[in-house]
Amino acid sequence: MSVWTLVSYGCWALSILMVVWMIYDWIKIDGKYTEAQLTSSREGEIEAISEKHNI
Amino acid sequence: MTKYTPPDQSKALQVLDIIFLLVAIFVALWLPLQLGLAGAAKEIDKIDNPTWETLQQTPAQVAQWEKLGYDVNTAHDVIQSHFHYTIDWMELGLMALVLIGYFVFLFRASKKEYREVIAEKFGDGK
Amino acid sequence: MNTVNPAIAPGGQSQKVSLLRVLGPAHVWALGVGIVLVGEFTGWNFSADKGGTLAALIVLWMVGLLYTCVAMIDSEVTSTVAAAGGQYAQAKHIVGPLMAFNVALYLVFAYTMLEVSDAILAGDLITQIATESGATGVTHEPFLMLCIVVLVWLNYRGVLMTLNVNFVITALAFVSIIVLFFSVQPWSQGVVLKLGEMVTPSNALPYGWIGIVAGFQFGIWYYLGIEGTTQAAEEVRSPARSLPFGTMAGMMTLLIAACLTWYICASLLPWQHLGVTFFPLYDAAVVTGSPTLKFLLFWGTVLSAVASANGCINDAARAWFSLGRDRYLPTWFSAVHPKYRTPYRSILFLMPIAVAFVYIADLNQAITFSILSGVLQYTFMSINIVMFRNKWPLGSIRRGYTHPFHPLPAVLLFLLCAITFFAIFLGYGSQLVAMVTFYIIVSLWFHFYRYRYVRRADQFTMPWPKPKGY
Repeated sequence: MSVWTLVSYGCWALSILMVVWMIYDWIKIDGKYTEAQLTSSREGEIEAISEKHNI
Repeated sequence: MTKYTPPDQSKALQVLDIIFLLVAIFVALWLPLQLGLAGAAKEIDKIDNPTWETLQQTPAQVAQWEKLGYDVNTAHDVIQSHFHYTIDWMELGLMALVLIGYFVFLFRASKKEYREVIAEKFGDGK
Repeated sequence: MNTVNPAIAPGGQSQKVSLLRVLGPAHVWALGVGIVLVGEFTGWNFSADKGGTLAALIVLWMVGLLYTCVAMIDSEVTSTVAAAGGQYAQAKHIVGPLMAFNVALYLVFAYTMLEVSDAILAGDLITQIATESGATGVTHEPFLMLCIVVLVWLNYRGVLMTLNVNFVITALAFVSIIVLFFSVQPWSQGVVLKLGEMVTPSNALPYGWIGIVAGFQFGIWYYLGIEGTTQAAEEVRSPARSLPFGTMAGMMTLLIAACLTWYICASLLPWQHLGVTFFPLYDAAVVTGSPTLKFLLFWGTVLSAVASANGCINDAARAWFSLGRDRYLPTWFSAVHPKYRTPYRSILFLMPIAVAFVYIADLNQAITFSILSGVLQYTFMSINIVMFRNKWPLGSIRRGYTHPFHPLPAVLLFLLCAITFFAIFLGYGSQLVAMVTFYIIVSLWFHFYRYRYVRRADQFTMPWPKPKGY
């Protein structure tokens, strides 16, 4: 088996490993926190405190 | 202005919305490819038994062609391949119409929605 | 970087999970230039195919002007509307919800297709090297896959690391152009560079004026994506300062890189080859005969493609995330990872789409879709800024940056967009119509159906006074 064939297999293996890890982490996080917590980000919240638009 | 309360959307309908968008995206990208509409074609204006002279290449240009790994025959296909720009006014008109129509609809519909947003956010008549 | 403490304890209440404000101006530069720089390594040169080498130079300046307008206009609006989603949030506050929905789709389309092009480019280059080194039967599939998956993983794990990596690889790719430039002795024409002999009066504009116009389409690739800096708005420590600064610095970097690139390539490659190659800078290095330069530009090309794909994943996910947050799409997409503070569901959702197109689309098609969505967006920007100035005149709200000569840049931008549409008509007219038809269909769907699920007043989040005229 040539080096490049090995590299190709390595690429597939690494890709699969990373995808599996991300899916694992995703399911773990979704189970650990409530949906309300996860989707609690709101646009413009920080601006409302720090950026005053009154002149 | 009374506050607008959106209806709840069931899980199944949410998934359906996503599927609709995905299908639309794939169709929009696939269809032109399937219909063979992708890209203006170039045509090769063939020269028989080409030489660097008939291809109108100067010695300096020939040197670069050779460094890039071409010979006179392979370079012929690249050099003699030309666009033939023609303007089909009907088609141009159609394209302009579609584009302008799209933007007009976009801005008018947005404006209507925007009025509601501002009215609810700031209250009417101020 | 990966030891960020969870923002909230599992099951805990009150505290909210939001994106993390950790980026500085250098990251903004890395995001903007990182996405775009690949355009100098491939893509821009197709404008030479459309109209000759001189047309490519004219287009470089004209489209450079277009993007300078884009950068100025964008900086003014975004220094005021600093939210993830960038132009999407701008459209929502200034034009209206339907426009915002369309803009977000332009963004997702432009960046995802650009990501696809980048991955194809990087994968093909690696395959080429493998084949040149004598390997047989090596295909590009595993490299395409790895390229996308590694970058998605990086993006999943946090924005700071993602953009630190982007800063380093973008800087390396930029340096490779600079090194090439100084290696070919640009100060003495005729030694290595032969501009006068490559570009002659008879071949400078082979198609005449219409070639220049047609060149606009691919001229966009010198700069496409610089406006992506605004996607980082919610993650930058001081958006009102960092975003204009990073965007402008990025635009200057790109103008310099574009000029150097044109000068080197036009002086070394016959225009017919320049117009069809996928690797103009790499080929220029090949022609010099120096193995070092060849090695350098090979890696420059690969790194620029990777940096671009990386930035695109970041930006497309931010736009998709914002759509979910406003209920334009199911709120499910608006989740933020409590530990890494990234829009992880959006990042994951867009991954299979990119992977699918990497395998089914070809490079030219992916590039064209990216360009189309980009130009639709710039057309929107030119109208957007005029409406912004009308609804909130100078002095009515605080602006981090105010662009000069208004409304000249807006008018110029609009005109240049019209020319670009005509250029696209000359090459890809039917695709443009197909694409706009897609946007019309989804717009109707949004306006008459989907919008009922959106909370009206909640979309307007900026602490601004009521707009003038309402």
